[in-house]
Amino acid sequence: MYQYNEVDQKLVDERVEQYRDQTRRFLAGELPEDDFLALRLMNGLYVQRHAPMLRVAGPYGMYNSTQLRKLAHIARTYDKGYAHFTTRTNLQFNWPKLEEVPDILAELASVQMHAIQTSGNCIRNTTTDQFAGVIADEIEDPRPYCEIIRQWSSLHPEFAYLPRKFKIAIAGGPTDRAATQVHDIGLHIVKNDAGEVGFEVLVGGGLGRTPVIGQQIRSFLAKEDLLSYLEAIIRVYNLNGRRDNKYKARIKILVKAMGVDAFRELVDAEWEQIRNSDLKLPLTEIERVKNFFTPFEYDEAAATDTSLEQKLAEDESFRTWYERNTVEHKEAGYRITYISLKPYLKPAGDVTDAQLDLIADLADKYSFGEVRATHNQNLVLADVKNSDLYQVWQVLAESDLARPNIGTLTDMTVCPGGDFCALANAKTLGIADQINRKFEDMDYVHDLGDLKLNMSGCINACSHHHVGHIGILGVDKKGEDWYQITLGGDDGSDAALGKVMGKSVASDEVADTLQKVIEVFVEQRFENERFIDTFHRIGMAPFKEYVYAPAN
Amino acid sequence: MPLLINRKVVEDNWTLINEDAFSEEGVVPAGDIIVPLALFTEHKESLAARNDQVAIQVNGDDDLTQVLENLEQFPLIAIDFPAFRDGRGFSIARLLVRAEYKGEIRATGDVGQDRLAYMERCGFTAIQISDDLFKPEMLNAFEEMSNYYQSATDSVRAVYHQ
Repeated sequence: MYQYNEVDQKLVDERVEQYRDQTRRFLAGELPEDDFLALRLMNGLYVQRHAPMLRVAGPYGMYNSTQLRKLAHIARTYDKGYAHFTTRTNLQFNWPKLEEVPDILAELASVQMHAIQTSGNCIRNTTTDQFAGVIADEIEDPRPYCEIIRQWSSLHPEFAYLPRKFKIAIAGGPTDRAATQVHDIGLHIVKNDAGEVGFEVLVGGGLGRTPVIGQQIRSFLAKEDLLSYLEAIIRVYNLNGRRDNKYKARIKILVKAMGVDAFRELVDAEWEQIRNSDLKLPLTEIERVKNFFTPFEYDEAAATDTSLEQKLAEDESFRTWYERNTVEHKEAGYRITYISLKPYLKPAGDVTDAQLDLIADLADKYSFGEVRATHNQNLVLADVKNSDLYQVWQVLAESDLARPNIGTLTDMTVCPGGDFCALANAKTLGIADQINRKFEDMDYVHDLGDLKLNMSGCINACSHHHVGHIGILGVDKKGEDWYQITLGGDDGSDAALGKVMGKSVASDEVADTLQKVIEVFVEQRFENERFIDTFHRIGMAPFKEYVYAPAN
Repeated sequence: MPLLINRKVVEDNWTLINEDAFSEEGVVPAGDIIVPLALFTEHKESLAARNDQVAIQVNGDDDLTQVLENLEQFPLIAIDFPAFRDGRGFSIARLLVRAEYKGEIRATGDVGQDRLAYMERCGFTAIQISDDLFKPEMLNAFEEMSNYYQSATDSVRAVYHQ
């Protein structure tokens, strides 16, 4: 993965000292609360229901073992011994002390990490495919471009006070595992007719109050034009995006209001002015950054392993885990291996300091010292030898990290909800437990196959409920938590927004309602059909009828 | 109000006026003045007859087409930041620089310590700070970061050209 050079290191070090001074001025009463708010947000610090929350950047989901151990240390020393992976592949600490945050940032800088622009109305952490570089179907590894965007967007002097936050995601090939169509800008690495590799560019996607699927603004963008084109889009947005209403300030609203064609005209006019400026990426720079992401030296002998087959035949639990939580690697003899952060009856995405240390050890021993976070709040060891899988599984299982549920109903994406978040309208964690209890039988859950369940505690949609095959949205009704259910969403290559099934249900009825939805699916399903495919085939009506049928 | 030019506090010879400054006949007292764009457009002729200099103040809501086409008219253009979170002024300054505007580009409004360096990078040549926010030590803000990744309008080049 990318390694800081002197320029990178100096920048984060100076940033820590700058923030230390900002905190000092705030605590001394010299910096108005409102001004400090905007500054601390740009350093990833929110004030939540109980305490400040610090969001640390995991650039495009990449973490190395040294960083994980540092994060474990921070969790132990400055927090309550745990942390939380987010849908932006970042890591949150829920209980830091405001006055200790500069020290935490200094600890992070010592392992080439920061919290720059993890919140605030600026360009956020770029996300990508958790299988980047190790999956056969990609055209090119997207991570070098993510890093180039990270550098260009960090402390960008013009784009620190955009109308609203701004999120970019990149997919490396035709299969979209980065939810690019629901980002402010989605980039798809494509090959044109001349065989050149570049980007298809989408703009104006997003979730939140007004969910929108992004629209194509450019079918092919040459690599060297990446930054100039992004800058043109964001300049047009900065100048023209709405400032009068924060709920209408995202770029999706501007693109919708203008129409994508008129928006494109503005962007192209701006782009013409800057295309051949300093922003034009030298191919040597692309190569320089690519060199940090070259494939590891894989062991050719790994392909001849026979021990895996034997273990799979001997141990059914292992086989179940293998089938559900590992994925084919482009290199024979290796598997991409998930670490499930969706254990039974525990908050999705949470890890303890001990688990972080253990994952760091596993990464060092079995996966070239690196770990990736996914936008569904799990982790990935990208390069595990077949012959090591059994041991990796055993170690993960001992630490409650091997629940064989990746991609299933209990692999829920869940925000912290009303228990922690000041914005939430309803709690989510208890509902997740309720669903886990109802669907405790893993065989049953496996038989249901791929099913994406996303639950958000409010309309801000941090857990992307609109694009869950089943989405659950917490709403407040006269002080009580109620839950609205949507069906048919998708954040993959066939991105779609779920439709509301009917009136919301009370908090103690969520799992039962879900059970009814599943019963309809099981009844109507063709053999091995995915939930989402059954839904597309039969539509909403059968679900609605059965779920809301009057009891007799 | 303190005015920063080249990172130093300097004397300010300009007065920002509003409509109260105009007499019933549309005349403004002597001295160099900065006039908000709408007011400038309204009183264009009487202002053109003055002996002292006239500059304009623009903000993100203004249509800048006319301004960009007549840049040589203005010895100074002030860009207003009506609120801390309104970042349109950064882009406006860059547009002026790109149009090869040679006069003073001045930041007015909600200007605090923590945006001074970004303003300088975006092409502001003068920054006006309100009395209650100004402190001599805030000038350190220009030197907190010694380098950046991306080019803007200052001399810092993109990191891949450094």
